[in-house]
Amino acid sequence: MNKNSQRVLGVVAAAALVLGSVALTTAQAATKSVTLVYQGPLTGTDAQTGQDELLGAKTAIQVYNDSNPAVKVNLITADDQGEGAVAGTVAPGVAANKNVIGVVGPAYSGASIASFPSYKATRLTMVSPSATRVTLTDPRSPDNGFPFFHRVVGNDALQGPAVVRWSIDGVTAPKVYVIDDQTPYGTGLAQAATAYIKLKKVNEVGSDSVVQKTSDYTATVAKIKNSKANVVIYTGYYPDGGALAKALNDSGWAGVFAGGDGVLNDAFIGVAGKAAAEGAKFTAPAVPFETAATDAQQAAFTKATGLKTAAGHVYVTETFNATNVFLSCIKLGKLTRAGIQQCVATGTFFALDGKTVLKFTRQGEVVGGAPVGGFQVVKGIIKYFGAV
Amino acid sequence: MFHELGLMNFSVVVSQFWPLLINGLALGFIYVLISLGYTMVYGVLRLINFANSEIFMVGTFATVIVSRNFFGFNQNTDPLHGFKLVYTLGACLLASMLVSGVTAVLVEIVAYRRLRAKGTNRLASLISAIGVSIILQEGVRILTHSVPMSNPRLLRKAYIFNIGSVGLRVDTLLVIFFAAILFFLVDRFVSKTLLGKAIRAVSMSEETSKLMGVNLNRVISATFLIGGMMTGAAAFLYETVYENTKYNVGFSIGLAAFTAAVLGGIGNLRGAFLGGLSLGLLEEFAAAILGTQWKSVTVFLVLVLVLLFKPNGLFGEAVQQTRV
Repeated sequence: MNKNSQRVLGVVAAAALVLGSVALTTAQAATKSVTLVYQGPLTGTDAQTGQDELLGAKTAIQVYNDSNPAVKVNLITADDQGEGAVAGTVAPGVAANKNVIGVVGPAYSGASIASFPSYKATRLTMVSPSATRVTLTDPRSPDNGFPFFHRVVGNDALQGPAVVRWSIDGVTAPKVYVIDDQTPYGTGLAQAATAYIKLKKVNEVGSDSVVQKTSDYTATVAKIKNSKANVVIYTGYYPDGGALAKALNDSGWAGVFAGGDGVLNDAFIGVAGKAAAEGAKFTAPAVPFETAATDAQQAAFTKATGLKTAAGHVYVTETFNATNVFLSCIKLGKLTRAGIQQCVATGTFFALDGKTVLKFTRQGEVVGGAPVGGFQVVKGIIKYFGAV
Repeated sequence: MFHELGLMNFSVVVSQFWPLLINGLALGFIYVLISLGYTMVYGVLRLINFANSEIFMVGTFATVIVSRNFFGFNQNTDPLHGFKLVYTLGACLLASMLVSGVTAVLVEIVAYRRLRAKGTNRLASLISAIGVSIILQEGVRILTHSVPMSNPRLLRKAYIFNIGSVGLRVDTLLVIFFAAILFFLVDRFVSKTLLGKAIRAVSMSEETSKLMGVNLNRVISATFLIGGMMTGAAAFLYETVYENTKYNVGFSIGLAAFTAAVLGGIGNLRGAFLGGLSLGLLEEFAAAILGTQWKSVTVFLVLVLVLLFKPNGLFGEAVQQTRV
């Protein structure tokens, strides 16, 4: 090979090297992706709630990925069945997955507490759309998730008073009976409600604590009727709430049945039956997606989920908001757990409407609190009545 | 804790005595029927059939599926009356008993028979039964996506007569009446028929029974079938009262029924009767007086105390003639 040929070959080789490395870099940049996890009850008796929330996460990611970003976001799920015992076995696997940079969830308070050790140890940030127990962000509590747990909803310190106010609204001489389901969520909400009842000197005529998955409520119904209560506040979840409401209705009791966000679910009507569910009141630190979303967001919801409307599905808005917190950080180039943690803790984000500011306190609560909505079953459909 | 103990509520027993009693009896009779499944199998095999709770669960789904999918009823259907009510309930009962009975026999064939034939130790059979229980529960969980299923209200829950100011509902009275008849029939069957005598013979001595020409496998299968059918009947009655089921409905009910069987004397039919009724009443009154959170504590405290003084249960080994 003569010298000219050698020179040409050298130039071609160098050019190939440069072009190849550019192409490789471009290819790597184009296929860059990160992973978020939705953690909640996707199976089990509370599966409806988790399945509903997942719709919000999918919608947010659909909107994000449709904007053709440089960094794609993959969503995977972690099913904790809404139970601490299951969450304790699921969280280590999520925490060990290096691709995961954030957790949308956990959905439930008990599952959150059980997940904290794994996520704190691996510095994995959580933004929950629905875990409302007060102690999750209380610095004095051993259950708190500081500095990795945040939530986009108000806690039970807000919901407890709200459920009392909403349940006795329009009731003459209310006599309230409070029942919890012995879960971290249920007992926390019951405590908050009872504290407000005492503060406002509402007449509390009794209380009970009924474990989940109880079939027979005869004794509880007997006590409620004996107490002459005309308002029952149940702070558990909809499978048991529905069964209790049915038992009360079948016994001839004609008072107001009320519950917190754990009972707020279309499936409550199926379990309780239409007659027992009619007039039941619920509160939730939630805004219905179909009420708050723009047409474009509704279309994105349909594209992401295959459903025409989010009506009847709970916490879709809140999960959308929680997911968007992470997506906003990813847009800012925060692609590591440390970057996400710092961004979520200090950043300013926006809710579904694009105007409501979401910013977290040091403990993980939304600055300024979040409104609690009132819902009621009217003619077999759960209707939203605005903030209560 | 002591504060809670101080809040014992006896006034509810006074004002709500009849509903607590009647519902306690209704619940107790459901326990009686399910505990027959445990006690009869224990009588012939000296093994606890842990799959019985899932045999109950399967029966509840059979009731719901027949009323919803076969008859086409739903939550909007008005309660039935007259002949239509009778044959609909009859069909649901038959389906529940059949499905539960067949499931029980299949459990026996799959989980117990081969292990018995190989002479494996009882622990292997126990584990095998637990495995079948988990398979059934998880299988139904997957098929139903863990969603509870509601039974349409076929029977109007009317109050048919009053005691004082307290009304007694038709569904709870139906449970008591019907379950009592079923138990009586099973008791007569075991006492008077040839197959019943064979079942009792096997429960007394397997080896001697074989020498007397008893077909062991047939007797054991028949025992599972009868126990399963009674459990299926309990599932139908449960659905009539509570109108809901889900994949894990059998767990707590099964545990309570097993407790009832032990309380009365496991392996003893009349012990199951007494144990079931006692447990149903104890649960209701303990929950009413002490609070629902104390229900399980009370029940198991009583069980432990009974077993301390009568290790074989209330009826124990004393009544040989009515042992299964």
